[in-house]
Amino acid sequence: MSWHEFLRFLRGPLFEVALLVFAAGLAYRIFRVVALGWRRERAPAMGSRAGGVVTSYAKGIGIWPFIPWVKDAFRGNAVTFLAGGLFHLGLFVVILLGTAHMLVWKSLLGFGWPTLPLPIVDFLAAGAIVAMIALLINRFTQPVVRKLTGPAEMANWIFVFLPMLTGYMMTHHMFFRYEVLFSLHMLTVDVLLIWIPFSLIPHFAFYFFSRTIHGSQFGRRAVTP
Amino acid sequence: MGEQTISEHLRAEGVTRREFIQYCGILAGSLGLTALPSGLHGSPDLGRRALLDRVVQALETSPRLPIIWLEFQDCAGCTEALTRSQSPTLVDLVLNEVSIDYHETLFAAAGTAAEEARLQAMETYAGRYVLVVEGSVPTGGRGLFCTIGGRSATDILDEAAAGAAAIIATGNCAAFGGLPKASPNPTGAKGVWEIVEDKPVVNIPGCPAIPEVTTGTLAHFLVFGKLPELDALNRPKTFYGTTIHDRCQRRPFYDAGKFAGSFDDEGARRGYCLYKLGCKGPTTYNACATLKWDGGLSFPIQSGHPCLGCSEPEFWDGGGFYQGQSAPIGPPGLTTIGLVAGAGAVVGAGVAAANRARRRKPAPTAPTAPAESGGEP
Repeated sequence: MSWHEFLRFLRGPLFEVALLVFAAGLAYRIFRVVALGWRRERAPAMGSRAGGVVTSYAKGIGIWPFIPWVKDAFRGNAVTFLAGGLFHLGLFVVILLGTAHMLVWKSLLGFGWPTLPLPIVDFLAAGAIVAMIALLINRFTQPVVRKLTGPAEMANWIFVFLPMLTGYMMTHHMFFRYEVLFSLHMLTVDVLLIWIPFSLIPHFAFYFFSRTIHGSQFGRRAVTP
Repeated sequence: MGEQTISEHLRAEGVTRREFIQYCGILAGSLGLTALPSGLHGSPDLGRRALLDRVVQALETSPRLPIIWLEFQDCAGCTEALTRSQSPTLVDLVLNEVSIDYHETLFAAAGTAAEEARLQAMETYAGRYVLVVEGSVPTGGRGLFCTIGGRSATDILDEAAAGAAAIIATGNCAAFGGLPKASPNPTGAKGVWEIVEDKPVVNIPGCPAIPEVTTGTLAHFLVFGKLPELDALNRPKTFYGTTIHDRCQRRPFYDAGKFAGSFDDEGARRGYCLYKLGCKGPTTYNACATLKWDGGLSFPIQSGHPCLGCSEPEFWDGGGFYQGQSAPIGPPGLTTIGLVAGAGAVVGAGVAAANRARRRKPAPTAPTAPAESGGEP
């Protein structure tokens, strides 16, 4: 099997299977939690649910990331906070605002959107890769995080790191022929898509559920989220 | 014809010695060689002068190279490209001087007379002629999808290949099956190298093949008496050694992240990279960006059209021509994704319902374990 044939398999049938496993698995994970329901609120409403949701997102996305030193998490381990933030920012920009990735979304959704210039995406991708390495070192040097690290955590790190590394190498045509790098990137992406439903990575979706629900509850009770 | 050398033939045609040497220089240049291939005449480091001498010597001493050109499931586009080539020196050399003894499109003869000419040429030049094949070979339907003179393509190919000194498959169809092999491949089309297994087949893929690459490969065989160095897909490394992307004049725009978003936007007018319009340059190995077409005038990307990847196997089934290369091939539709996700959601909700029911009714009979103290904090 040539690299071109392998690449066609990875971009075609395997990607299709991976995407369906991802979609079904993610829906399963979310509904398994959401369908548990919530306890009925018996106390009278003291404030607005919508207001609570807006405040919750505004603080979570717009305020805390820019004044991290006020958070206990930052004081406890600044590397986790800063490298984690850099990693998530880079990942978000690369996946949604990188030209090649936007074309994937376009092929799935039927519409595209403007993307950022390559040098900017590239810089953030490199930042995310460095951040991941920093997080790995931090994971093994900090006793608390080390204690929380098991095979599943290592698998998460590897399955996320490899697509980023191969994607960066592919963009820069490093070491191997393009179709080889493209194949490695697609292989690692397919593996990641299949792995996500079995891991803790779905927090990218759970995050929005929990922020919304907690914001709503805090808003109703008129407490600061 | 006969045993007249190429040089003698050219002289008889009124070509002067000076013009002949120029011919040889162009030929050497077109082969993309700066030194003799290793293993030939001792040192691999002989320079340009030695190469020119070698070309001159070959053309002065070699008899004309007989060529039999077969066409099967093709559009004759490769022949059209060859005959309309704007670089007459090399193509003339091959067409007129190297001598094509049988070519269905170019032949004046037809019917049984043409077939007899082919058989006669094969007999006269047995073991010496170069077989050039254009078009894919159908293997389905007991070969009935393509017959010439009542004989199947596979039959004719086997017969012609048996006496050939070298076999060249020109165009994507002959090399890798091309358009006829595109899914669902109703005729069971195959490339020549999938059928002829006892002899090396040089693949010159392209849609059409670049004329100078076909003739350059023939010229290489003429000059050196052996086939050029090939890559894993049996393509001459000289012409297929780098990707279109690596030699593309729009490459700086790719590196800078400047893309044309449509065929008529500002980016397209400024000559930006065509990656977003589906360019397959990064994975396509061919000489378009360097040799170009029409005597070096232009090539698709220069003219504003993305590369289709026509020199790669099964390029018709490699995703949409105008879809970015990063996009998946034949991804599931939103409906399928929705249905599958729906199934996942139903199962998830079912598990959640079961968990809720279990939470509501804790097992009453389970004995409670004695309270432990001093365990893990």
